[in-house]
Amino acid sequence: MPSIPLHPRSQAAPPSTTNPLPQLLHTPTGLALLEIQGTIHFPIPPDPSSSSTLVGTLAFPLYNPALHGETDTKWMKRAHFYVGESQRMTGEVKKLGKPFAVIARKGARGDGEEDVRMGGGEGAEELEIVEIVRFKVVFSHRPEPVGGGEDGEGV
Amino acid sequence: MATRQQHHNGAPVSIAHQFQHFRLLELPPEIVDLVENSKSPLSIKSLPPSSSDGPNSQPAYAALCTPTKAFQLRQVQTSNSLYVTQPALETHNDASAFTTRAFASCTTTLELHPQTEDAAIHMNRLVPTYDIVDGDVDTRENHISKARLFADIPLSDGQCEEAWGALAAFELSGSSYQPTANTLTQVWKAINSAAVAEGIKIDASFLTNDLASLVAEEGHPAPLAAALIRHLSTAGSDSEWSSLDRDKVLSFVATKLLEAKKDGSDYLTADFLDAWKDNLPELWRKDAELNAIQGKYELPSSKTIRAKSNTGAVTSAQPDPAKGSASRKWHEKFAKTRKK
Repeated sequence: MPSIPLHPRSQAAPPSTTNPLPQLLHTPTGLALLEIQGTIHFPIPPDPSSSSTLVGTLAFPLYNPALHGETDTKWMKRAHFYVGESQRMTGEVKKLGKPFAVIARKGARGDGEEDVRMGGGEGAEELEIVEIVRFKVVFSHRPEPVGGGEDGEGV
Repeated sequence: MATRQQHHNGAPVSIAHQFQHFRLLELPPEIVDLVENSKSPLSIKSLPPSSSDGPNSQPAYAALCTPTKAFQLRQVQTSNSLYVTQPALETHNDASAFTTRAFASCTTTLELHPQTEDAAIHMNRLVPTYDIVDGDVDTRENHISKARLFADIPLSDGQCEEAWGALAAFELSGSSYQPTANTLTQVWKAINSAAVAEGIKIDASFLTNDLASLVAEEGHPAPLAAALIRHLSTAGSDSEWSSLDRDKVLSFVATKLLEAKKDGSDYLTADFLDAWKDNLPELWRKDAELNAIQGKYELPSSKTIRAKSNTGAVTSAQPDPAKGSASRKWHEKFAKTRKK
């Protein structure tokens, strides 16, 4: 069938995991968007049991709700992404003019097996809107060296 | 140069070794509300794969459809890496921490653009005409039900329904058909005479299927009669009850008479007006005057009439050269004055 249902976001319970990002970037499912100019390369992990590799640290130096209150938005102008040992990117938090719907195959979350086909797919494929994201953290500049050294993982 | 102290205030970022697959769909304001708050079903429709072959194929595309609107999906390449992240509790180097974990990467995003084309364009391609020639039906079965037809058209169901109604299209034994002007004129005559015979007041509420089954006794498919009744009904009519709209009937009878006159022969205006009146219910007979169909006809001579062509390309072969020659004369006049 060339008509594929796109299910609205289900009102699922929020995840129990603590979200380390500022409150403004929180969504019901915890999904957020991170945009980087370029690609992050990292070495193949020696430990086959690990499912991810730490690549850096995201910091919002002006974010201080205790001092400026939750409604303060000036902190959005500055974000740092420390990558590897010695590189830093400067960016900002942007409110999206048009929010993004994050779409996945219905019931496919977690297996990561198949791509999302927008139409033209075969079988009784169904899609769902997993989340609507209104902000993104953008790093649109080249990384700059920090702390002197220039070795470590490149960006 | 920045110091390393800030490093420790931040949230660690990790990248998953196995990415999940997501698509990012940019939502225009009119969609955001719909997606967030309503339970109205959304679907993504595309042209069936087979239609991408052949010389008259349309460019393949998919559209996001709400019940009444359609938005064409366009894929846009992103020059940057766009990661979808989610908080996770991870253990690295024997220390547990809440991280921001990138678990999907999107190289393209999807934009939505309102799609307002007429669904009739697709229906004309997919739905065969249903003609009646000398009492015999001339058509072919397409084996496409109304539901499948709508699913095959990358427009909203509301847009499809509108075009379906405008064509007075109908479904019969799993196939869909669109009646010709000639067929519609004949079925209309059957509806009109059945209503008169049974004393059904067509401008008051009547049961659509009762009248349609009377017309079926004349040999026309009941779904066709019902489609035409709905086509001519007042805006408030539901599917079960109908009441015919005077202006719709007046205009319908006139334009179908003109359109059915395809052979190109002259249609005397006086003959047309007589036929128009004869085909109207008695109570609207007096309303058959040319100003009721303003803009739908043209008078090629003082005594003849024909349907006004919508496109200007099909039947307007005659007036165009006339205009052309007129403009040419203008150029000649200018040329003459210049030479002097």
